[in-house]
Amino acid sequence: MREQLEQLRNGALQAIASASTIEQLQDIRISLLGRKGELTALMKGLGSLTSEERPVVGQLVNAIRDELESSLGAAIESAQEKVIAARLQSERVDTSLPGRRPLKGTKHPVSLVIEEVSSIFAGLGFAVAEGPEIEHDWYNFEALNFPPEHPARDMQDTFFVENNLLLRTHTSPVQIRTMLKKKPPIRIIAPGTVYRCDSDATHSPMFHQIEGLMVDTKVTFGDLKGILTVFTNQLFGQKTGVRLRPSYFPFTEPSAEVDIACVICGGKGCRVCKNSGWLEILGAGMVDPEVYRHVQYDADNISGFAFGMGIERIAMLKYGISDMRLLFENDVRFLRQF
Amino acid sequence: MNVTYNWLKEFVDFRETPEELAELLTMLGLEVESMEKLGEGLDDVVVALVEEKRQHPNADKLSLCRVNNGKEVLDVVCGAQNFKQGDTVALAQIGALLPGEFKIKRSKIRGEESCGMLCSDKELGLADESAGIIVLPPAIAPLGTPVFAALGLKDTLLEIGLTPNRSDCLSALGIARDIAAKLDLKLNYPHNHVVEGSERTDSIIGVTIENPDLCPRYAARYISGCMISSSPDWLVKRLNAIGIRSINNVVDVTNLIMMELGQPLHAFDCRQLSGNRIVVRSAKEDEQFVTLDNQQRVLTSTDLVICDAERPVALAGIMGGLNSEIENTTTTILLESAFFKPSAIRKTAKRLGLHTESSHRFERGIDIDGVGRALDRAASMIVELAGGVMAQGCLDVYPGKVDRVAITFRPEKANELIGIDLERNVIIDILTRLNCVVAPGEDDASVKVIPPHYRIDIEREIDLIEEIARLNGYDKIPATMPVARVVSDRPTRHQEIEKQVRDLLVNNGMTEIINFSFTSSEAAGKLLLEADDPRRIAIKLANPLVDEQSVMRTILLPGLLETTAKNMNFRSLDLKLFEIRRIYLPVEGESMPREPLCIVGAVTGSRDGDGWSRPDEQVDFYDAKGIVETVLDFLDIGGVSWVTENPESYFHPGKACRIFAGRECIGSVGELHPTVQKNFEIEKPVYCFELDFEKLVKLSRTKKTITAPSRFPDSTRDIAMLIPEELAAVKIVECIRSEKSKEIEHVQIFDVYRGKGVPEGLKSVAVRIRYRSFERTLADEEISALHSKIISRLITSLQVTVR
Repeated sequence: MREQLEQLRNGALQAIASASTIEQLQDIRISLLGRKGELTALMKGLGSLTSEERPVVGQLVNAIRDELESSLGAAIESAQEKVIAARLQSERVDTSLPGRRPLKGTKHPVSLVIEEVSSIFAGLGFAVAEGPEIEHDWYNFEALNFPPEHPARDMQDTFFVENNLLLRTHTSPVQIRTMLKKKPPIRIIAPGTVYRCDSDATHSPMFHQIEGLMVDTKVTFGDLKGILTVFTNQLFGQKTGVRLRPSYFPFTEPSAEVDIACVICGGKGCRVCKNSGWLEILGAGMVDPEVYRHVQYDADNISGFAFGMGIERIAMLKYGISDMRLLFENDVRFLRQF
Repeated sequence: MNVTYNWLKEFVDFRETPEELAELLTMLGLEVESMEKLGEGLDDVVVALVEEKRQHPNADKLSLCRVNNGKEVLDVVCGAQNFKQGDTVALAQIGALLPGEFKIKRSKIRGEESCGMLCSDKELGLADESAGIIVLPPAIAPLGTPVFAALGLKDTLLEIGLTPNRSDCLSALGIARDIAAKLDLKLNYPHNHVVEGSERTDSIIGVTIENPDLCPRYAARYISGCMISSSPDWLVKRLNAIGIRSINNVVDVTNLIMMELGQPLHAFDCRQLSGNRIVVRSAKEDEQFVTLDNQQRVLTSTDLVICDAERPVALAGIMGGLNSEIENTTTTILLESAFFKPSAIRKTAKRLGLHTESSHRFERGIDIDGVGRALDRAASMIVELAGGVMAQGCLDVYPGKVDRVAITFRPEKANELIGIDLERNVIIDILTRLNCVVAPGEDDASVKVIPPHYRIDIEREIDLIEEIARLNGYDKIPATMPVARVVSDRPTRHQEIEKQVRDLLVNNGMTEIINFSFTSSEAAGKLLLEADDPRRIAIKLANPLVDEQSVMRTILLPGLLETTAKNMNFRSLDLKLFEIRRIYLPVEGESMPREPLCIVGAVTGSRDGDGWSRPDEQVDFYDAKGIVETVLDFLDIGGVSWVTENPESYFHPGKACRIFAGRECIGSVGELHPTVQKNFEIEKPVYCFELDFEKLVKLSRTKKTITAPSRFPDSTRDIAMLIPEELAAVKIVECIRSEKSKEIEHVQIFDVYRGKGVPEGLKSVAVRIRYRSFERTLADEEISALHSKIISRLITSLQVTVR
C-alpha cells in the first residue's frame, strides 16, 4: 500500500511537472483527486486495512493529497500567469483607429441660443410664454400702439393672410396675450418665430426673436438697464460694455436701442461694427401707457419694461457667422459644427 | 436724413468735433449711421498761382506753367485752355491721391517735366463733368492752403437714421434744435430779407381750400419777372454734399429750404395755371393726372389734389404735375407752402407706390407753424438768385389753426419711472430748452407743459418723461436691479417635453434642422397626398416673396425632404435629420388656425457614419422605427402598436406603418415612396418618421412604477421556428406573452432569417425566453415544462414549425 502510494505520488508529481496547460492540470486533478480519482480510490481502500495500519497509512494519504493539491495549485497558478503573460505579449489594438462611438447629433444654433437665453432669464425669474405665429392685426399692431396707417408699420414689412390675419412680425403680441390673461406681477420671455417680407444677406423672411416683459408696481427704466446689463454680461462675457441710446418703438416709451461693445474688435472699431465699436442687439423700453390701456391695466399704479432681440443676430455674433442665410440652408456640414 | 457738420454750425455755435458731434447725436436718439469726411485726403491739393504760362514746345494743346504754391515755384504741364497767366488755381502736388485712387507723380510729358497737376472740379470729385480746370477767385486764400479748406468745402457729411416719430428732425434746423437743447446753446434762425413789390398777391390769385380737414393751412407767394438759370456754385455744392442733384435755381431753392427747414415747397409755372385760382380739393373717383415723372396716375376720392380753376396741377404733398412744372422759359412762379394731413398723404403715397422727400415729410408731420417762415425764406432766395419781384403779402389760408393742448406733467413721476433723482428746476429747465412752455399746474406736484408745434410726437406726460430721460442722457441712468415679487412659474409640461425630446434625438445622433414655415403649394402633390386629404388645405399668404414660399405648411415632411436632397447634392450621404416645429392647420368655423408642434425625422446612408468597422451597413426601416421607439419609451407611452394597413401615401406601401397608442394614431414611419423620392430628387432611399407632438404630450405618462429586481438566478431557452412570410413576427412574442406566466421575464426575437435552408414563403425566427421567479430558484424540470407548454401554444395557435 505504501509503495503503491509512493508510486502514485511520484507519478503524479512528474505528470504535474510536465503538464503545460491549465486544462492538462485540471485533468490531472480530476484523475487523482476527483470522485473517481486514483487517490480517492485508494482512500476508499483504507477500510480494508487493519486498525493499526489505518491511521499511519491514512496520515500518509492525507500528506500526499495535501502535497499534490498544493503542487497542482502552484502549477495552475503559474500556468495562468503564463497564459496572461502570453496574452499581454501577443494582444495589441491599433489605438490610433477612431473609436466606435455612438453618433452625436447637434441642435440647430437657433435652438441653442433660445435655450441659453431662456436659461439666463429663468435664473432671473422669467417664465417662458408662447403665442400664435398666425396672428390678428390687433395683437400684432393695434394693441401695441401701431394705429392703422401709422408710419411705424413701415418698419415691419408684413406677410398677410386672409381674415385680417397676418404672420406676426415680432414676438411682441405675446406681451398682449400674456397681459390679457393675467394680472401683474408679470415676468416672461417669449421666444418664437416671426416673419417679414424681406430677403437678403442680412434679412430672412422667417427669423426668430425673444421678447421679454416685466410688469410690477415700481419697475424703472434703470431696472431695465440693470436686467439687460446682467443678461448681456452672462451671454457675451462679464466685461462686455453695454449702452442704451434713445430710440422709438410704438409700444414702449421711453424706448432704447441697446448696444454691446463689439465682440469682434472689443470696441476698437471693425467691419462688423461699422467702425462704431458698438453692436446693436436689442430694442427695449418702458411699456407705453397706451398698451396698458388696451389690456385694461391701470397705468398709474404699475410700471414695466419690455425688450426684444433677434436670435439670429445673437447666433451670428456668438459663432462669427457672416451670412444669415447659412442658418436656414440646413447644410449638415454647417450644422454639425455646433 | 443727410446733413453736414458745417451746416449745423451755421445754426448752433458748438465746439464739438465731428466725431464728438456724431456721438452726441446718437445718444440723443438721432443715430449717426455713417460719417463721410468731404475732402479728406485731399490736403495735397493746394491754392497756387500761375506765374507764367507758355506753349509746350512739342504739343499744340499743352501749356507749360510755372506755378507758385507759396513755398516754391514748380513746372507743371497742363492741357486745359480756360486759364491764363496770373490765375489762381488748384494744384495737386506730387503725392496727392485724387478720387478714384489717382496718384500724382513726377512725370515727363512730351519731354517736359511736370511736378503736379492743375485740377478740375471733376478730378476733385466736386462735379460729374467739368469744362476745364478750377479757376479760383484771386487771393481766395494764402498760396499753399488746401483747396477744400479755401473753398469752405472741408466738411463732414452725417447720415442720420431717424426713427419715424422724429419728423421734426427731417431738416438741418431740426437737428440743430436738438443740439442746441442738449448743449444749452442759442439757436440762430436764418434771417429772411423779404422785399416785396407793390402789386398785391391776393389781387393776382386766390386760394380756396375745399377740404380743410386734409389741408388745414395753405400759403403761397407770387414772383414775377424771374429768370430760370443754373444755380450758383455754393448752392450746387451744398445740395451735392447731401446727395441732391442740382436742377435749376428755383427748384434748387425749394429743395434747399426743405432740407434746411423741413418744409416741402412746390413751385408752379404761372403761365400754366388757368383762372387765377388755386383750389385744394379731394380728387374725383378715377380722375386722371400726369405727375412730374411723366406717369399717368389714376386717383381716388381719398387723394388730395391742388388744382387751378380747371384741373389738378399737383398731387398734394407728394408730387407736382407735368402740366405746370418749372421750365427754362418760366418767368412767373407761384410758390406753395402748405400743411397736409399726414394720414391722407400716407394713404395716397402708399397706394400709388410714390414716395418722395416731400411725402416722406408730410406723412410724418411737419411744423404747421413754420409754413410761412419757410415760404418767405424760399421766396426771398428765389428773388435773390433768379431776380424778379415778389408780390405784396403772403396768401395764407389757415382754416385749421388749433392751439396745442397743455399736458399735465408730474416731475416726480419722471424721476420715479426713469429711476433718477433730478431736481424739479433741472427738469423744468430741460423742457424749456426744448421750447416747451411750462406753466404752474393745478397742484404743487404737477406743471402744465405746452410743447412746440413741430414736436407732434409729444402729446402725453409719458412723451415728456422720455424727453427728460433723453436730454438728461440715458448714460446717466444708474443700472439697478428691480424689486420684484416672487412668482412661481416652472416651464409647462409641453415646454419641458419639447426640450427633452430635442435632447433625446440629438443624443441619438440626429441633427436638428429648421426650415421655413412656408412652402410651395405643389408640395402636397409631390407627396402624392389624396385629393381629399385635409393636408391639402393650407393657409395662403396674400403677398408671398416667391411661389416656393406661398402657403403655410400643413406637414413638415417637404422641408425635410428638400433638406435631404440638398445635402445629398453636396455629397453628405449619411444623414440623420430631424425637425420639431409647428404646422398650420385651418380650423373649420374658427378664424384662427391651429399651430400644433410636430416632429419629423429622416435617416439614410451608412449606419455607422464615417466609422471603419462596419462600413457596409446601411440604415433601414428599423433604424427609423428604433428612434421612434426610443422617444415613445422615454415618454413612457403605453399600448403602442404598428399598423401596416392603409399607410401614408408618401411611404412605400410594403415598408411603412402607422403608429398607434391605444386607439389614437400618433404618427407614422416608413421608407419613402420611390415616386416621392424621385419627386424630391433624392438619390438614395430615405426612412422617415413623423410624430404628433401634441398627442405625445397628452399620452406621456408622468408617473413611472418601479419594481425591485428579482434576486434569483435566471435560465434562458431559445426556440427557432419557421413561420409564413406574412405572419408578423411580433405575433410570436404576443403568443408567448399570452401564456401569462409570471416566470417569463423577457422575450426577445434575436434572429430573423430567410434563404438557404428555409423554404420559399417562410422565414425562420429565433426567440429567446428568459425565465426567472421573484420567489425562488426555478428547477430545471419546472422550466422545461413551462417551455414545452409555450412551444405547443405556438404550434397550435400560430402553426409554427419548430426547427
